Amino acid sequence: MLFLPTWPTDYLKRRDGKLTTPLALYERIKGGLRLAAIDAEAGRAGLSVGQNLADARAMVPGLTVLELDRPLLEAAFADFADWHSNASPLVAVMHDVAGFGDLVLDITGVAHLFGGERAMLAMLLTRLRELGYAVSGAIAPTIGAAWAVSHFARSQVVEPPDLDRVLDALPAAALRLDAAQIAGLTQMGLKAIGQLRSRERKPLQARFGVSLLLRLDQAFGHIEERMTPRLPPAERYAERRFADPIGLMDDVLMTAHDLAIQLAIRLETEGLGGQAFHLFLYRVDHQVMTLSVNSARLSRDPEHITKLFTHRSERLEGAYDAGFGIDMIRLAVSSVGALDAAQLGAFTQRDATEDLDQLHDRMSSRLGPMVVLRTQFQASHIPERAARLVPAIAHVPGDDQPRPDLVRPLRLLPAPETILINAEVPDGLPASMIWRRISYRLIKASGPERLGAEWWRSGQRLQLVPQEVPKKGEQKPYIPNLARFTPDAVSRDYYVVEDADGHRFWIYRQGLDPTQSEIGWYLHGIFS
Amino acid sequence: MSLPDRQQRLAALRDTIADIERKPVLAERRSVLAAAPGDGFPLLAGGLLQEIFTDERRNSGAILGFALAQAKSLLSEKRCAVIYLQLGKQSQEMGLPYGPGLLSFGFDPASLILVRPANMVELLWAAEEALACKAVAAVIADIADQPKVLDFTASRRLNLRAASSGTSFLLLRYGTTREASAAHLRWRLTPALSARKRFDHLAPGPLRWRVQLEKGVLLTQQTEWLLGWTQNGFTTLDAANRAANRHAAGAPLPRAVPAHLADGLSETA
Repeated sequence: MLFLPTWPTDYLKRRDGKLTTPLALYERIKGGLRLAAIDAEAGRAGLSVGQNLADARAMVPGLTVLELDRPLLEAAFADFADWHSNASPLVAVMHDVAGFGDLVLDITGVAHLFGGERAMLAMLLTRLRELGYAVSGAIAPTIGAAWAVSHFARSQVVEPPDLDRVLDALPAAALRLDAAQIAGLTQMGLKAIGQLRSRERKPLQARFGVSLLLRLDQAFGHIEERMTPRLPPAERYAERRFADPIGLMDDVLMTAHDLAIQLAIRLETEGLGGQAFHLFLYRVDHQVMTLSVNSARLSRDPEHITKLFTHRSERLEGAYDAGFGIDMIRLAVSSVGALDAAQLGAFTQRDATEDLDQLHDRMSSRLGPMVVLRTQFQASHIPERAARLVPAIAHVPGDDQPRPDLVRPLRLLPAPETILINAEVPDGLPASMIWRRISYRLIKASGPERLGAEWWRSGQRLQLVPQEVPKKGEQKPYIPNLARFTPDAVSRDYYVVEDADGHRFWIYRQGLDPTQSEIGWYLHGIFS
Repeated sequence: MSLPDRQQRLAALRDTIADIERKPVLAERRSVLAAAPGDGFPLLAGGLLQEIFTDERRNSGAILGFALAQAKSLLSEKRCAVIYLQLGKQSQEMGLPYGPGLLSFGFDPASLILVRPANMVELLWAAEEALACKAVAAVIADIADQPKVLDFTASRRLNLRAASSGTSFLLLRYGTTREASAAHLRWRLTPALSARKRFDHLAPGPLRWRVQLEKGVLLTQQTEWLLGWTQNGFTTLDAANRAANRHAAGAPLPRAVPAHLADGLSETA
């Protein structure tokens, strides 16, 4: 919970730098002009909220006054709240006391990203203070407790075991009560929450109404309090709330289908299609589960979207846990682009690539995007770098294709395997080979095809000409302290070899000169 | 009227009837329909479940070449993709299809989609999904071991799926054991010593494979071929002359020569 006591004035001052302090905002209440918000300086001058405007002007001659524009401030505060979604996705504005000033963040499972609750609170507070907002904050197990602590105590983190001790010491007004209730309690001498808690509940209810007990129970967590998160990251969504929470995945998928139809109608009227669809499952116990699927091309076809979610849900298996049930489902679309309505003509053929893209989507949503792959060529002469496998959904044509007249194997081993080779020294063709404990007598061989290493990627120093000895008095050129690049040690000689049975392999020798560097033989590919 | 000619006409008539009745043509009929231009290796139609066996895993390159060569003949404008399935953990053992290698083989890598599922169940699911897609010309499944999931029921399922959608399914298998399966055709493939390269007799020449038909009926009576591969298709070499240097490790399985009268019966080998 973040409490910004002087938010309206801070906000206006930030928006308009020319406003002079002290600043007060007035509002027409019961036919009179009364102060509704004051800044810190006005407060020091002795002004207070609810004071008559004329009195205030008389007390502080240099006072700047403006009329309070509630809708403007509420909208501005909502934007301000949305900004906090960078700290937690569940951000809400508490409207119980005022339309602005109270911000609730559900930081369940988020705090560790900021180094713990204490660090997160400190980060949030300093961040706002640096922007010129007066703010206090508290992290507590319940919304009521956090509100109480942030309004009536120092900014702190209240651990669950300390909750009772901390709350008992706070004044009764910390329970979000209205003025009449506070006045009544003060008359009875019940000043602190602790005194209130030890009283019989029935007389309290008779005297102050059920709302007092509700607030009390909410603060101590005996009654659950809901927050309505402001979560519109996607502009276009369809949602459904349930009177009774649902739990079965089939029900969820059925709802997703209905929502997909609603969303499709909306997208169709706007002439749009989406590539990413997100299904938010809001559980009763304040948890949100998100399922996301991607489509290779812009789509708004409800059947296709539902199918993708069905496949995605099959990949969930044990990870799906409805808890006490799901009471709201929202289907949102992002990565939106223009998609014109397609006319289905009697004489036009269905495009084959569309079928194929849908197949990619289905397979990727069930098996995972890194499973469905396509080849992308890279401009490199090193065999393992010349082709990359990229997700088929995100496939873009790469660099130019390599020349088809290169001798390359049909299958490449992801990691070359060490082999033993018998070959004439220094440049003879391989005569026999042992690979995976089987020996082959090689009767045909061709090569070598020499492939040098890419020195520009080696992170080593290239030296093509002998270094000059610097003359006396001349400054030495700067040479980074890197190992020297030795082309001999990292060049490869590729051979195609074949044995009498027609097994054909692609092998290479790493290192050229056995007297200067270590030599190794590897099998890299299989032709036949 | 010669016998194959009559068979072909009968098959064509059955196809027409199936078209009228909007039923998939009887799966066993398809294999007969394979057109055989001349005496060469038959050009097989789509919608067949073919098992391609090779004795050892190190022949993985040869078997992939044969499958890709068949798949290439099935590619068309409407069916523009070939799906290759392999378990993710078997990539190092078997090797992955390599783009530049496919290019030099004569197969466009842009039309090959690799799918690497984590387990056999997902692989079979992906195979079925891919078979159902009208834009896929062929599905190649590379299965290194003998998984329990891939039993007769599973292969029958795939058989029906392939026959109804017209997408070919090529199952690459390794080893000498043959389990019951509903495949239309079963091949046994061994690499053969390559042809002589012009001007350099020490270097490996054009690829050659020895192919035996172990199960299924084709129009031609021939069941054994020595195939070469050019970028445009198979070239057949005279197998009889080469019988002397046949690979001794595995003799062809004993089986009856398919009789003309029994072609209506499905075969299980």
